[in-house]
Amino acid sequence: MEEKILAILEEHCEEALQYTGDNMMEDGVIDSFTVINLVSDLEDEFDIEIDAKYVVAENFKNKEAIIALVRRLVEE
Amino acid sequence: MQLISYAFVIFWAVTFSLYYLAPARLQRYILAAASLLFYTAGLRGIPVSLFLTAVTTYGCALFLNGSLAREKEAAAQCADREGRKAVKAVFQRKRRRIQIPYFVFNIGLLAFYKYAVVSLPILDGIFGSHPGFLERVGMPLGISFYTLTAIGYVIDVGRENCSAETDFLRIFLFLAYFPSVTQGPFNRYQGMKEQFDKEHAFSYDRMLRGIQRFVWGAFKKLVIADRIGIFVDRVYGAEPASVPGSLFACATAMYMLQLYADFSGYIDMAAGVSETFDIMLPENFKRPYFARSVAEFWRRWHITLGAWFKDYVMFSFVMSGTGRKINKKCKNKWNGMGRHVVPAAGTMLVWFFTGIWHGRTAGYMLWGVWYGVIMSFSLIMEPWYKNWKSRLHIGEQSRLWALFCMARTWIIVFAADVLIRSSSLSQAGEIFLAFVTRLNIGSLLSSELTSYGLSKYELALLLAALVIWLAVSVIEERGQDVRDFMAGRPAAVRWVCYYGIVLLLLVTGIYGGSYDTAVFLYQSF
Repeated sequence: MEEKILAILEEHCEEALQYTGDNMMEDGVIDSFTVINLVSDLEDEFDIEIDAKYVVAENFKNKEAIIALVRRLVEE
Repeated sequence: MQLISYAFVIFWAVTFSLYYLAPARLQRYILAAASLLFYTAGLRGIPVSLFLTAVTTYGCALFLNGSLAREKEAAAQCADREGRKAVKAVFQRKRRRIQIPYFVFNIGLLAFYKYAVVSLPILDGIFGSHPGFLERVGMPLGISFYTLTAIGYVIDVGRENCSAETDFLRIFLFLAYFPSVTQGPFNRYQGMKEQFDKEHAFSYDRMLRGIQRFVWGAFKKLVIADRIGIFVDRVYGAEPASVPGSLFACATAMYMLQLYADFSGYIDMAAGVSETFDIMLPENFKRPYFARSVAEFWRRWHITLGAWFKDYVMFSFVMSGTGRKINKKCKNKWNGMGRHVVPAAGTMLVWFFTGIWHGRTAGYMLWGVWYGVIMSFSLIMEPWYKNWKSRLHIGEQSRLWALFCMARTWIIVFAADVLIRSSSLSQAGEIFLAFVTRLNIGSLLSSELTSYGLSKYELALLLAALVIWLAVSVIEERGQDVRDFMAGRPAAVRWVCYYGIVLLLLVTGIYGGSYDTAVFLYQSF
């Protein structure tokens, strides 16, 4: 699962894979357009629904947070 | 009551004294009482709208919280995912029945005061014109700010990003907190609640830091913004045909700085006042004119408003059923370009609303559309843009490239500011025409420049103040807090700088007379 998520992330924003900080959105690594397309691809790939309530900086602060979010939603 | 007034300084000092002298458990009550007093004094009337918003917000959030808890209980009884989905849908429908009337009521209230001014003569006819309707109910100060703040809180509760508050006083304080009630920043409940609940002990250093930030904000407002305002008002107030294009260009460039100095000055003052109470407000500006793109500019300018629209309008639209359906249909069409349809539509929506939030004139609507189109266009063009950059071997770190990108951003903001500073679209049109047909750059070097309210001495003074501001901005852009930077200088240098700023503020600030120092530009939004 992790590999698939990273592949989708790479497709949308290569920089996100190298990012080591803890606020990708505020640091301008990932913008809202990228988030929207990323969410859409993750939903299709894992058959999950990522509600607007999950689209917060905390869940997109780095690649680990994105992986954790998808994992949580798949298990729900 | 304006932040730059003797009355406010006395009010601040009294509130500050009571805040730290009273038992710590009473601190938030003191802030709530002070906020009510500040608001009522500024309004000169009964704050009916503020109370209506506070009460409906409080009630709606509590209902949502209860409904979410009941949904969880019901979902726990379901064995499978489909069952949980069905339960969620039922409870979501119930919540919408309360949420939608709440939004309609509060946005309606905002729209009524902000846009229905034309109906006032009718209301005055009903209520009698002495005093008229507005004088009776009071024009709600900061309604654009506290309404969006309240709506954001209700959405956050609905999204389970925070729990509903059971104490009405905390909600009232959150919405009416006096440093931020009139012009923001837009606070989020999660961050403010923790600070309101904390017991705050007096700290001399913190008080000093708060006062320093307040004085710095006043410097930007009185020495820079209001001085520039004299020139800009005269140029834009003149008959367009009589002013050369270069002077309009100069006035517009100055207006860009005026708006920034005025609004960020207010935010510095508000944040400084709040800091003395040990309550930190979110940052609203991060040196926007260093931005290399319009998107970055809006991540640095009025940050909390941008974040509000992104979180509560953009994402609500994109993640809604309609947004998802459109995205699914378009995503793989037109060689992959279809994936931009929904984000671009969301961007246009956000910018349309940002425009009408700022003002009801056609200029503001066009201003919003302008930014929406630029942002959507740059989103669609991004792959080509990256390709060109790579072919031309342009490095991200190149200083020349950075300067080019900054200049490009300035030009886009410049054009947008002509639209909002002009009194009408036809004046804006005449000004754009003047840039092309009669630029006459020579008039910037002639005595004509000093015939719009600022003498050579005033212009030199303004230039000196701008240099100080630039120096501070460069220090901050390098990641240093300027107050920490100053604290590290020798005492003599430090105090010369502090006294210098205060002296400049007292001697060269624009006070009284024909220029109303009390009015901040963003207050009218």
